[in-house]
Amino acid sequence: MDEDVLTTLKILIIGESGVGKSSLLLRFTDDTFDPELAATIGVDFKVKTISVDGNKAKLAIWDTAGQERFRTLTPSYYRGAQGVILVYDVTRRDTFVKLDNWLNELETYCTRNDIVNMLVGNKIDKENREVDRNEGLKFARKHSMLFIEASAKTCDGVQCAFEELVEKIIQTPGLWESENQNKGVKLIHREEGPGGGACGGPEESKMAVPTESWCLGDSSWMPQLSMIVECYKYFVGPGLS
Amino acid sequence: MIAAFDDFQTGLTTRGRCCAEARPRPPLPPSPDALLFFPAYLAPFAALLKMAADSEPESEVFEITDFTTASEWERFISKIEEVLNDWKLIGNSLGKPLEKGVFTSGTWEEKSDEISFADFKFSVTHHYLVQDSTDKEGKDEVLEDVIPQSMQDLLCMNNDFPPRAHCLVRWYGLREFVVIAPAANHDAVLSESKCNLLLSSVSIALGNTGCQVPLFVQIHHKWRRMYVGECQGHGVRTDFEMVHLRKVPNQYTHLSGLLDIFKSKIGCPLTPLPPVSIAIRLTYVLQDWQQYFWPQQPPDIDALVGGEVGGLEFGKLPFGACEDPISELHLATTWPHLTEGIIVDNDVYSDLDPIQAPHWSVRVRKADNPQCLLGDFVTEFFKICRRKESTDEILGRSTFEEEGREIADITHALSKLTEPAPVPIHKLSVSNMVHTAKKKIRKHRGVEESPLNNDVLNTILLFLFPDAASEKPLDGSSAVDNNNPLSESEEYNLYNQFKSAPSDSLTYKLALCLCMINFYHGGLKGVAHLWQEFVLEMRFRWENNFLIPGLASGPPDLRCCLLHQKLQMLNCCIERKKARDEGRKTNTSDMFPGDAGKAGDQLGPDNLKDTDKEKGEVGKSWDSWSDSEEEFFECLSDTEELKGNGQESGKKGGPKETASLKPEGRLHQHGKLTLLHNGEPLYIPVTQEPAPMTEDLLEEQSEVLAKLGTSAEGAHLRARMQSACLLSDMESFKAANPGCFLEDFVRWYSPRDYIEEEVIDEKGNMVLKGELSARMKIPSNMWVEAWETAKPIPARRQRRLFDDTREAEKVLHYLAVQKPADLARHLLPCVIHAAVLKVKEEENLENISLVKKIIKQIITHSSKVLHFPNPEDKKLEEIIHQITNVEAIIARARSLKAKFGTEKCEQEEEKEDLEKFVSCLLEQPEVLVVGAGRGHAGKIIHKLFVNAQRLTESSDEAAAMAPPEEELKRVSSPEERRQNSVSDFPPPAGRELILRTTVPRPAPYSRALPQRMYSVLTKEDFRLAGAFSSDTSFF
Repeated sequence: MDEDVLTTLKILIIGESGVGKSSLLLRFTDDTFDPELAATIGVDFKVKTISVDGNKAKLAIWDTAGQERFRTLTPSYYRGAQGVILVYDVTRRDTFVKLDNWLNELETYCTRNDIVNMLVGNKIDKENREVDRNEGLKFARKHSMLFIEASAKTCDGVQCAFEELVEKIIQTPGLWESENQNKGVKLIHREEGPGGGACGGPEESKMAVPTESWCLGDSSWMPQLSMIVECYKYFVGPGLS
Repeated sequence: MIAAFDDFQTGLTTRGRCCAEARPRPPLPPSPDALLFFPAYLAPFAALLKMAADSEPESEVFEITDFTTASEWERFISKIEEVLNDWKLIGNSLGKPLEKGVFTSGTWEEKSDEISFADFKFSVTHHYLVQDSTDKEGKDEVLEDVIPQSMQDLLCMNNDFPPRAHCLVRWYGLREFVVIAPAANHDAVLSESKCNLLLSSVSIALGNTGCQVPLFVQIHHKWRRMYVGECQGHGVRTDFEMVHLRKVPNQYTHLSGLLDIFKSKIGCPLTPLPPVSIAIRLTYVLQDWQQYFWPQQPPDIDALVGGEVGGLEFGKLPFGACEDPISELHLATTWPHLTEGIIVDNDVYSDLDPIQAPHWSVRVRKADNPQCLLGDFVTEFFKICRRKESTDEILGRSTFEEEGREIADITHALSKLTEPAPVPIHKLSVSNMVHTAKKKIRKHRGVEESPLNNDVLNTILLFLFPDAASEKPLDGSSAVDNNNPLSESEEYNLYNQFKSAPSDSLTYKLALCLCMINFYHGGLKGVAHLWQEFVLEMRFRWENNFLIPGLASGPPDLRCCLLHQKLQMLNCCIERKKARDEGRKTNTSDMFPGDAGKAGDQLGPDNLKDTDKEKGEVGKSWDSWSDSEEEFFECLSDTEELKGNGQESGKKGGPKETASLKPEGRLHQHGKLTLLHNGEPLYIPVTQEPAPMTEDLLEEQSEVLAKLGTSAEGAHLRARMQSACLLSDMESFKAANPGCFLEDFVRWYSPRDYIEEEVIDEKGNMVLKGELSARMKIPSNMWVEAWETAKPIPARRQRRLFDDTREAEKVLHYLAVQKPADLARHLLPCVIHAAVLKVKEEENLENISLVKKIIKQIITHSSKVLHFPNPEDKKLEEIIHQITNVEAIIARARSLKAKFGTEKCEQEEEKEDLEKFVSCLLEQPEVLVVGAGRGHAGKIIHKLFVNAQRLTESSDEAAAMAPPEEELKRVSSPEERRQNSVSDFPPPAGRELILRTTVPRPAPYSRALPQRMYSVLTKEDFRLAGAFSSDTSFF
């Protein structure tokens, strides 16, 4: 089934702490909601394969910690991302106000300038809304982003958000490349319902390959012990060892 | 009626030059097939006969056709028909009349297929002008009486002498045609019988299919471009015939002779003959203008190579062509529409004076690949990428590295002997250090051996490390000035797109120096040598705590090339090591928030595993330092209870116990926040800075993190692996705020996880009550776990998160093992970046819109190619080629501007027109001269020719015969000029004529059909291309 995958895309989720980044991701990948999800430390990582317009794409989604102190650490992971989901909490205005900082961060650390940005206003299930939908829309338009409001708790808009983002990336020529160059882009929409929007694959770009070496083939799921030990030494201070 | 051509043919054959005159076709059957005895023009009937014979008396609709015994020739014909059918070239379709210039402005396309005659391969190619679909609406209509499009096009006068077109288009004015030519380049159809056989095949195929597109076969050697062909319509046929000679018979050098041959060829029975329309074009070539007008002093390479180093500026790229990039100017003077009898042109007199021609157009011939300095520079540098040798192999001294070390050791040993105390390194000037080290090394191996001479090397090193010149080493921030006004400009930020390095950075300068050395000073050897010196310098700076200049401070900039990142990484290491070493001596670094990071990661005395002995010694004095009074006094309020407890604070203990500890490593107070349990102000601690990372390290790490998978355990392990930083911060926080709780820490670290609510207490007052968020309260979550493990240790005594010693050694090793080829690949983006900047700068002086456009394309293209690791060589070559191309265009523009004297032009309007004219010459294959010989540009061109003529005259005849004054006079009065032997223009290099008429042929009662003959006469080539149509129904 891995054979069918058109491409692997790197997606990044960023935003202030506590806006529900990890919850959105968990809802998307595992379709569950855990009100007591521990605060992320550093970056976390999840994978999911989705199908957009008959093209399968494997998403490597990097979830980041929102705390200010982690911000010196996480931008290193922005590298090579093709899509960014910028999350705020519609019930906390301060998380919306800080969006500008995050955009600056992106501009500074992203290695390419054609990545697709999406703005997500989370927690719309809550009653004490502080940020109006129109404000979000306005912000997204100003910075040419995709925009959607969602709730990780009720599942509203989550799937849709990721799908939109992926579709947009696939439609941006040069932003990604086919997993197997010989296969080219699958333009035949096999399992398409009526009225499915035609998403033309991008022109086969002649560009070089950004070799993201996730190596997430089925057999390579088990972490290689030696590497982990090496890395563990690198990361962990004396306290935890 | 064919007498003229027949004559011609005999003339030819006697001279031993071949001419393909196809008709009358001698029936020479190469195969016993009876059909071959039919002349080709009977082909349709032959086909009918054959069918009749095959199907016997009944010609039913359904019949069995037997092809089992078909001959090779029949199969060949049916293959041609198949191709014509496949391409849907059957039937008549009339497009719009051709617009003026559409042959040049429109798009030509071609389709090819391969067919074979026995084992001889032919390629069939359909050439056609792409037309709007609306033009082809007529396709469906059956147009019985209309003559084929191609026949009509023979008479169209809108596209005579197209500047760029297939030769058949130029000769016959066709918009569409099919050519059958031998597939292999060296193959040729030479014998006359074979030529006839081919033409017969074509004729049969056209007849069978009803295809109205002219079909040509190429005969003789390819270079002769000999074609014969045929076009068939309903009851009409055009034969395309050709004569090609090396030497022109005298009677055909002028209009009257050609008219004669045209008329006799038509053999029109009518008298008087309908008028023949004539188009004439004479082309004059100007070649030897260089002597007067070569504007650019070619850059003096010799001076650069052999001369003083001082005259050579490192960091600048050369630019320009070494030869005149414009080699010839072709002036075409055209009389587009003459009628027979209006002008006289025979062997004794001609009315065709180029100055009087109503149309002038000019084209310039560009020198093929003129030698361009910048392009050569970059290309040569790129070639290094393909070399496989390592530095040592190139320099042939594998011992070099050790030699360098040995010397370092010697210096070390000496200083140890002479000075008992640690060497006070910072008092020595960098320049001394750099140069003494170098000199010693050089002494060891002898000057003669080194590929770079000392002067060059010193100049380069001084250019790369300007701090070595000043007596004081740079301290604190590095050399790149962040307030640089440049830094905001788009141009400066180009490095971002190229993934190179800022144009004022060390990396960028290094790239330019290597480029220069590769070209002028020793090639690959020089490159290897400089690189070795560079790596030595890097090690020297690391070992002696001298920051590397020309690098932006801070963590490696991931937008730059990897080599730049590595150097930045090394600088980070030096910075931290320096801060640590200085901290031990001065004791002050902890006091300034700005130095927090540097001071923060110093080793505690108990964590000295990986530092050398010397450091250990210094470390001993550290104890006393950490108890220093300054530190003490800073925290006035805590003084009393905390006195003397510093070193034992590492012990485990609850908040109560630790509350009695002396606070350490405070950065500053955090707003007005106070600790929850005792109301003391909450301090933000000095923390360790996270480890800087280069992109390769980062990739390695994210790979490891990703490999942990997405399971809960994986996520947990991942979080643990990354908790080092959190833990370190917690320890620092505990040390700075004795007696604090996790709540306190969270209020600083993740304020949204501390939820405050207004509640009304027993007394009815509004009170703020806070608690940790639900997620922080999850039992044994990572935060709680880390908090419980964390001991109150200030950052400076924690184990380093970033092991600068190890990282620096890694970088230095990485640098040392880079082969010149690797180095070139690392730096190529910088070189391309520099080349683009150079081209941009030069373009700014000339303002050529075409070039602006190409530069933009190059930038977008390169940013796509260079952004990925290991771009393909082919793509890189393409970029370099584009840059060279732009350089050549700019050089051409300069050459043309000088030749046409745009600068000298006084009238604003004229100058503008002239500039426009020059830029058109660059962009278009042929440019119309407004006003022909009387326009401003026309006058200049005229003058150019006159000057060239004078030059030839004076060199041909004795120069003394004509004094300059006289010559001038001659130029000024045209009348006089006429009488003189020397004309303004040389004899035309090319003479082209098109003769056209419409006459009934072959009989007076036949349909009147288009006839055309094109002739071209150049110095070594004479060609007649005739298209003669005849009525096949009424003859």
